[in-house]
Amino acid sequence: MDIGQPKRIIEITPAAIPVPGELVPDLAPDMTPEGEPEREPQPAGPESADRRSR
Amino acid sequence: MSRTSTASPAGGLELTTGAEPILAWRAWALTGTRDGDDLMLRPVARRSRPWKPRQPAEAACTLVRFHRAPHAGCTCGLHGTHAVEILRKTKCPAVLGRVALWGTVIEHEYGYRARFAYPQRTRLICQFCFWMAGPYAAAPEHVGWFPKDELMPICDEHLETASRYGLAPRHVLPAEAVDQRLRETYAVDALAV
Repeated sequence: MDIGQPKRIIEITPAAIPVPGELVPDLAPDMTPEGEPEREPQPAGPESADRRSR
Repeated sequence: MSRTSTASPAGGLELTTGAEPILAWRAWALTGTRDGDDLMLRPVARRSRPWKPRQPAEAACTLVRFHRAPHAGCTCGLHGTHAVEILRKTKCPAVLGRVALWGTVIEHEYGYRARFAYPQRTRLICQFCFWMAGPYAAAPEHVGWFPKDELMPICDEHLETASRYGLAPRHVLPAEAVDQRLRETYAVDALAV
C-alpha cells in the first residue's frame, strides 16, 4: 500500500490511551500517576519533629 | 488538537506535537479457530505480529532492527490511511475499521505510520465485494475457515463462486456472530459505513 511521501512527524502523547482498560500513558518507573517523583519515606527524628513544631 | 512546531533532525521533516490520537482507516486479516474462537486481528502482511485484544499494538521494524519504528527513512510502523478507498488495493482484507494512532506518528500524503495503535471501530468485509464496490458493499453473510486458522468473510454470491471452482472453505460460520464476537474481543464499536 502506497501512502506517498512523508510530510511531517507528530509526537502524540494522549491524556488517555484509546485502549479499553488503559487510562493513562505508560509512566516512567520513578513517577507516580500524578507525575511527582517518588519520595523515600522520611524517618521521624528530632529534626523533622522540630520542623513540624515550627 | 494544540500543536507546536519545531525543526526536526529526523529526515528534515517538520516536527509537531499533539495530545489527541489520530484516527485513520485500516484493514486487517483475521484468524480464529474453526468454531470462531480466539479471534485475532493481523496485519495483511503475514510476517507481521498480530494485534492482541485490549493491548496497544506497537510497531517494530522487520527490515532494519537498529532503529525505532516508525523511522523517517523507512516504511516501518503501523499504517493507517486518510481515505478508505486506498484500502481497496489491500491484499486479502477481512476486517475494515477505524484505528487510533499515537506515539511517534509520521504523516504521509495519503496516510500515517505510527508507533502505537488500537482499533476503534470494525466490521467484516467480503474482500471481493470490497475490491469491486468499496466500503459501501453489503456486509458478508458468512465467514469461511481455512487451514492455519485463516478466516475469510464472504458474501453469498462469492461463496457460491468459490465453491464452484473448488475453493470452498473447510468450514463456514455465520458472519454476524463472528463480527459481534470480534467487537467484544477487542471491546470496540461497530463501524457504520
